Amino acid sequence: MSDRNAELGSLPPLLRVESVSKAFGGIQALHEVSFEVAPGTIHAVIGPNGAGKTTLFNIITGAYPPDEGGVVYAQQEVRGRKVHELVSLGIARTFQNVELFGNMSVLENVLVGQHVRTRCGFLGAIVRGPWVRREERQMREYSMELLEFVGLDGVADHRSSDLPFGWQRFLEIARALATRPRLLLLDEPASGLNAVETQRLGELLEEIRKRGVTLVLVEHDMSLTMGISDRILVLHQGKKLAEGTPREIQANEAVISAYLGKE
Amino acid sequence: MRNILFAVAILLAGLGLSSPYHFQLLTFIGIHTLLALGLNMLMGYAGQISLGHAAFYGIGAYTTAILTAHFNWSPWLALPAALFLAVLIAFLVALPMLKLSGYYLGMGTLGFGMITYVLIREWSGFTGGDSGLVGIPPLDIGPVCLSSGRACFYVVWGTVVLGFIVCERLVNSRVGRALRAIHDSEQAACAMGINTAQLKISVFMLSAFLAALAGFLYAHLVSFISPNTFDFLTSIRIVTMVVIGGMASIWGSLLGATLITLLPEWLHIFSDYEMVVYGLVLMVIMIFLPQGLTRGLLDIYERSKRRAGVPSTTAKG
Repeated sequence: MSDRNAELGSLPPLLRVESVSKAFGGIQALHEVSFEVAPGTIHAVIGPNGAGKTTLFNIITGAYPPDEGGVVYAQQEVRGRKVHELVSLGIARTFQNVELFGNMSVLENVLVGQHVRTRCGFLGAIVRGPWVRREERQMREYSMELLEFVGLDGVADHRSSDLPFGWQRFLEIARALATRPRLLLLDEPASGLNAVETQRLGELLEEIRKRGVTLVLVEHDMSLTMGISDRILVLHQGKKLAEGTPREIQANEAVISAYLGKE
Repeated sequence: MRNILFAVAILLAGLGLSSPYHFQLLTFIGIHTLLALGLNMLMGYAGQISLGHAAFYGIGAYTTAILTAHFNWSPWLALPAALFLAVLIAFLVALPMLKLSGYYLGMGTLGFGMITYVLIREWSGFTGGDSGLVGIPPLDIGPVCLSSGRACFYVVWGTVVLGFIVCERLVNSRVGRALRAIHDSEQAACAMGINTAQLKISVFMLSAFLAALAGFLYAHLVSFISPNTFDFLTSIRIVTMVVIGGMASIWGSLLGATLITLLPEWLHIFSDYEMVVYGLVLMVIMIFLPQGLTRGLLDIYERSKRRAGVPSTTAKG
């Protein structure tokens, strides 16, 4: 994996977070956090609960702006851009608590994922001309491909909220992929998964990276994180504690003491 | 297919009926269906409540009434004007209002409905105030006057069929899926790249369009309008139609509008206790079919089918 780092090191980073700070009331959720994500890599963000991982995700995806600092995505300052604009630029995400469209079918969830890559509007839908029907057909085909990719093509017509929890996580990934992202942020994708599902998730994430998508994940499952990540960023109480390859992080004194609770 | 059957049923009903009372009742059901359909797009599909929907009904009715009765416009010229004004006002109202959600949006739209009602009542130079506005001409196409019971019936129900086709196509499209996505999780809808603010405004305008269309038809078919038709109670009644009929169900709008229009007629026999029974019927429906008539009846049907045959499905992983 360090080979890949060396090889990709020459490319400009896909994502650059520049000394981002964010406070909520009196609580400093993030304090001058900086890091870079090279294209085609898997980057993990770890840290104890309350370290600011989800806040970092919300800032990168545009849910709220940072108080200070900036976010550069694909050589473009995206601070202050709205969430839906960033999705069309290629940033997709999944949620810690799985946010599916529960009343819609599995297939429909993935169809909604393609919203930003399709264009049929009110008028198009009412007239339903040939191009609209073609677009709809292509959307369905691509959605089925994605469902097959995550292994859910057999339940395409089920209500998404009827799926077992683990499958809902995979569906959420398929839905995020439907936006055709260049950068995919996964918020604790393995939480709630059993051992078999976690292993499948690891394989799936590798597969997604091979398709050219850059991944950033927040994760507590250390064997998964250490196994698939190219680089790891450790947050602790809103600050960057360490950053490096899995091997470097495992040997890092500060990280070990933070995790074991020593000061 | 269903729409063709629906159209045929309307055609046959129009030929088979002869009593003016029946035609009048069915015409009102049709107008109420349009109102419920519009609100269902907003409330049932996009999950945004409006407690002031009668305002757009009133704007549609009064715009066409004033233009035709005071300024002698042709109704067919007044129609686009009425629709345009309602949609424009919907846009201006939605711009700040749809930033609210839940109860707050309910209160906001309630306030808008009340302001519109008071304006209609007090601006008596134009609207006739409390005593109403008379002398609205009937609709006609060339030499054919559409003021007879049967003609009214066909005009209204023809519009309903068109409304159904339009809404059904919308619901089963990229736009409709995005609306339902907002309803289920606005946060996730945003994360899919849906411009939720813009879409909510658009669907608010669509529902105002349908309400104004209903108002236009109402004004020309009844030829006399007064503010009370467009008051707070009407707004609540439209919400009731949607909820009773079934949220997020196009055919539910028809069922809800039919029931809410017919119920008072049927309950006349209870005379003094009419409103009590009316309330009881609504309570019983909500307790036993909380999803509304359409979904509730479908669920009962599916449950009985499941009990008879295959157990619920589990699929591969």
